[in-house]
Amino acid sequence: MTRMRELYGSSQLHLLAVIVTMSFALYGTIRIAQGSDALNTFIWFGGAIVAHDLISFPLYSGLNLIAHRSLVGPLGGPTAERAVPLINYVRVPTILSGFALITWFPLILGLTEHNYRMKSGLNPDIFLGRWLLLTGALFLGSALIYAVRLRRATRSAASRESA
Amino acid sequence: MRQPPGPFREQFWRSPLRGPWLASILGSALLPLIVICALTGFLSQAAYNPSLGDNSPLPGGGIGINLYFFSWPTSPSWIYALTQGLHVISGVMAIPLLLVKLWAAMPKLFEWPPFRSLARSLERASLVLLVGGSIFVFFTGLGNIQIWYPWSFSFVPAHYYAAFIFLGALALHVTLKLPVVRRAFREEGVVRPLRDDRAHTRAEPAEHGTTAPVEPAPPTMSRRTLLATVAAGSAGLGVMAAAPVIGGPIRELALLAPRGQSLGDGPNDFQVNQTAKAAAIRPAQTGPDWRLVLEGAQRVELSREELISMPHCTHDLTIGCVEGWSTTQSWTGVRLRELASLAGAPKGSDVEVVSLQRGDGFNHAVLSSGQIADDRSLLAFKVNGADLSLDHGYPARVIVPGAPGVHCTKWVKSMTFSQA
Repeated sequence: MTRMRELYGSSQLHLLAVIVTMSFALYGTIRIAQGSDALNTFIWFGGAIVAHDLISFPLYSGLNLIAHRSLVGPLGGPTAERAVPLINYVRVPTILSGFALITWFPLILGLTEHNYRMKSGLNPDIFLGRWLLLTGALFLGSALIYAVRLRRATRSAASRESA
Repeated sequence: MRQPPGPFREQFWRSPLRGPWLASILGSALLPLIVICALTGFLSQAAYNPSLGDNSPLPGGGIGINLYFFSWPTSPSWIYALTQGLHVISGVMAIPLLLVKLWAAMPKLFEWPPFRSLARSLERASLVLLVGGSIFVFFTGLGNIQIWYPWSFSFVPAHYYAAFIFLGALALHVTLKLPVVRRAFREEGVVRPLRDDRAHTRAEPAEHGTTAPVEPAPPTMSRRTLLATVAAGSAGLGVMAAAPVIGGPIRELALLAPRGQSLGDGPNDFQVNQTAKAAAIRPAQTGPDWRLVLEGAQRVELSREELISMPHCTHDLTIGCVEGWSTTQSWTGVRLRELASLAGAPKGSDVEVVSLQRGDGFNHAVLSSGQIADDRSLLAFKVNGADLSLDHGYPARVIVPGAPGVHCTKWVKSMTFSQA
């Protein structure tokens, strides 16, 4: 047991779990390797990791940092306390609109225009407009909530002062 | 090995929200969706009756052994619309949770040193498969439902076998993280951190080997705002994905999902999987010279008039598409059973239905004896009281309750009955 821990770094159960689950993963890998266009499949598989971890993640983190700097202040630095911080009223609609875009981008960006029209007989040109309207509605809703909360906070601050 | 700068240092990760509790709550919400998605995904393969003919969309019949010890049922008639609808809805709903889960786990991917023990290294290698597998499976699925194929591999085998990689890695991840989840819920409470507003939001205790930050930045968002945003995203996408499954007036709620638009009010104005134009059906093929060829003990040729003059019936049946949309219409046609006996098919025969369409993997399908035996399985020539339109399979199409849409072959040319 102790020797196992020294050599392996964990218990036999850990090793057993690795063997059982990784045999399924290996099976999937081998079947892909045996199929046609295996190389293309593995390129897209690896590409998926690169696209998320090294492109999409740094990109949205960077955008968040810019929003943070301009609306809150430098990360970790002193923050100007506001009655109602603006940043989340920008972040939340951006995130929601982003979820919609990342899910339906082939339709929204017209990447599937020809296929969609040919196969379904439907008009593929509506999706970009709909997504823009949805995004606009999300930001409008967020702005309205922000305005209401800001007004309420200013009023209660004013009533405290006059009291 | 010297520790590289940037994300490889613990101090790089500042968000006060990351930590075992956040990962646990996100994982607990994500897991049931993935389980539903995986089960319905494997059921979809069963729905094709992969042991019959070359029905299996996987080369070589897939796994090699028949995992499905049952023939796909015909009742309820909306069973495939339901299972495949759930597959697409649960998959789409998982996307916001998956993305935020990946965000929450990000420091783990940059953990330093990369090699601590064999066990840890195997675990990290499995994380590569988990991240790659999850994104690959979701991305290809989203491409398929939007009819977008930027890759050159064929969709079904890649989506199916990558799911083994993803689910294998996920099973290991869940097994190894179960104690972490238990501990996080015991120490923080399952929902207690949701009570804290932004001002009361504190980072989880920094502990080596967890994603809780060692130098947390002041919070700009509470955990409940983050989770409410994810939940709203998941619910919103879920409504969009569910609308084309439920159909009727609800369909309009699809908004950004495919197949949300109405085609009109006419008897043939409902969703088309593949238009006659896309299937390259020529008018000459469907004109007065069209004959339905039945082959069994004898060969029978029927003109459309002869087909219509046979005893027929009308049923409300649902077509469920693998892409996760469905439509229920009133179909009129001759029972497949009647056609089987007309051709003198031996008892218990299957039937291979072949379309006029050329060159598509789904221009033919083998239906099981059970599917033929159902009273509602029709070779339809009318829908909603009107002749089928060319897009819906004129002169005649198959409609089998509960079968995947692509097994309801359109523009039928021949039906060959044979005993399995």
